[in-house]
Amino acid sequence: MDMGDKDKFGLEKGSGDPVNYHSSNMSTDWRFGGANISNQSMGLVPTDNSIPVRKGDLMGSSVSLVNSFCPTIWDHPNSLNLGFCDSNAQTGTNTSNTVAIRKGIPVCSSTSIDKALDIGWNPTISKGGVFLQSNTGIIPQSLSQFPADADFIERAARFSCFNAGNFSDMMNPFSIPQTLVPYSKGGTVQAPIQNNEMHLPEAAKEVTPSADHGATEGNPIENERQTGNFMRHPDEEKQGIGVSSNESDEADFSGSGDGQGDPSMLESAGGDPSSSKGISIKKRKRSGQDNELDQVKGAQVPGEGAKDNTETKQKGDQNLTSATAKPAGKHGKDSSQPSDAPKEDYIHVRARRGQATNSHSLAERVRREKISERMKFLQDLVPGCSKVTGKAVMLDEIINYVQSLQRQVEFLSMKLAAVNPRLDFNIEGFLAKDILQARGGSSTMGFSPDMGMSHPQLHPSQQGLIQAGIPGMGSPSDALRRTINSQLTAMSGGYKEPTQLPNMWVDDELHNVVQMNYGASVPFNNQELNGSLPPGHMKVEL
Amino acid sequence: MASPSSFKQELLKKWVLGLQSCCSMAKDMGISERKKAIKLSADLAMASARDGRTCWSRAVIANASKQNESKILVQKILGSECERLVKASSIGFSSCNKRFTSKRILRRSCSSLRRIRRSAPKRVQASSIAKRMVKKRTQLLKGLVPGGESMDEFSLIEETLDYIISLRAQIDVMRCLADASERLKSQ
Repeated sequence: MDMGDKDKFGLEKGSGDPVNYHSSNMSTDWRFGGANISNQSMGLVPTDNSIPVRKGDLMGSSVSLVNSFCPTIWDHPNSLNLGFCDSNAQTGTNTSNTVAIRKGIPVCSSTSIDKALDIGWNPTISKGGVFLQSNTGIIPQSLSQFPADADFIERAARFSCFNAGNFSDMMNPFSIPQTLVPYSKGGTVQAPIQNNEMHLPEAAKEVTPSADHGATEGNPIENERQTGNFMRHPDEEKQGIGVSSNESDEADFSGSGDGQGDPSMLESAGGDPSSSKGISIKKRKRSGQDNELDQVKGAQVPGEGAKDNTETKQKGDQNLTSATAKPAGKHGKDSSQPSDAPKEDYIHVRARRGQATNSHSLAERVRREKISERMKFLQDLVPGCSKVTGKAVMLDEIINYVQSLQRQVEFLSMKLAAVNPRLDFNIEGFLAKDILQARGGSSTMGFSPDMGMSHPQLHPSQQGLIQAGIPGMGSPSDALRRTINSQLTAMSGGYKEPTQLPNMWVDDELHNVVQMNYGASVPFNNQELNGSLPPGHMKVEL
Repeated sequence: MASPSSFKQELLKKWVLGLQSCCSMAKDMGISERKKAIKLSADLAMASARDGRTCWSRAVIANASKQNESKILVQKILGSECERLVKASSIGFSSCNKRFTSKRILRRSCSSLRRIRRSAPKRVQASSIAKRMVKKRTQLLKGLVPGGESMDEFSLIEETLDYIISLRAQIDVMRCLADASERLKSQ
């Protein structure tokens, strides 16, 4: 099972990422996860808050699993900043994952991590027991950890008990209200597994806000049984709770529990005090989860207290341009998205604490965060934009840059037109005189050792060319290409931003291929990145 | 890195193709025409090297294929995939455009209604100013990036990213060729 999971994730790393990436919040998740890991040092977060501790469990388990996949990535735990991904993700992740060098976007390899983390996150939000069910990949490994943590189990039980108490009156149609009551009182639970499944998600929903004031059932045996129940029905729970803890949950609830009532009934049963916004389950669950997330994040984000985190997150939400707040602010929503992307086409959003849960505002927030992510990439791409904050100013810079690039193209084409009155780009001439001869000094014609190597290569072909005239586009363009390519590589090496450009390039190509979500383009991209056209081996299309 | 150089190689290969066909086409073009031909072939090469994966490249190809004089060039440069790409680009383009223009009409009508209703509160908020600024610039950017008119903000930014990178590669290749030919000439 271990290997199977690894394979699955590896596969997803390689090819499933266009879908994942499309959710476009991988980077934030990545950052979040990275921060998590770094802060936790891959372990439990020793807080007194019950939720983070549990989360720490999950994180530990998921991290260990994830670590086995991409150990290099975790070597660079860093701040939440995109720069982290820039500098480290590429170097770290490129080793195993050709598709993976995406700046900022957690490099497709990290999508698996994101998913893992997400899987770790969401179920945690839904209080552990659910987690066991919903996380197919991570369950096997982490399962062993959970029963061992009596505290965690107790909490899980407590939540479900709490929930059962809430729903006892409402759950009549489900034919197990009686059993629920004794359950809530801490008695042994003979409740059918179905009910457990049903209750747990609601428990997750309901209890999140009231996480700390669950009844102290303290029946480890029953808890274990319950977790055992969970374990026994991984598939159902997986469907039921799913990795995405939001709208899909509603449908999932109905899927997992027969005759499950409409969500409105459940939500009214909840009477969640902390949720001041929502009527709908999903929204409450989202807010609850966000609360939890907030708390967890607050515990784990470096240098920020939980309170600060929520505050900054809220602030970050309002202030689009604040770069520091943004990473923290995005996590609440973003953690749900990568997991959702593979399952659903639409984007699930979690309402953050203190935020309006109006669907419009949620969608608006999603959109804004996506856009701000992209703007970050653009910031790195456009020179001189790093200090600029503010969408308008950055757009200004981008516009100026694109205009200058276009003007450069015009200028160069004019230059070429002037130089060649007949538009005959004499390729053999190039080969013979200009390119082959080593000319030092000029950075554009930076003749590196490559030139020396290509020199003997080209001479015979060139001579052949001259003798045979132009035998066709094949050889001249090939040779020219080779030389120009070496020039270009040398040039890009001497570029002002040497490391940035190639990385960014790959990122972007990858990014576009992946993001465009063309199925065919993925193998295309892989081909490209694997150097399907290495210098000197290009096929000539005539 | 394999990818940037491979893109440049692709670009160069296709560009040289186009240039050769240009050369055969017109011996007595004025400098501006030559420049146009060069630029066009470079742009087409860049767009085709992107292989229709990005919106802007499709837009470039669609625009070029619409004009009669550049059609031949398009065919030459795109080669075998020409028909497929042109069809894809034009289809996508037209549908996008239709959708976009209809949305635009709807939006305009709505906003005019809103403006009539909202004439009372005269408070100018910073956020609205910022929004207007951003909107203005987004419109500018849409004009810059080929095919940008029919894109929402998010995909516009994505396209811009890709477009910037492709432009940079194109400039590199052109500069190389220009320098090479200059040196050749000077000898």
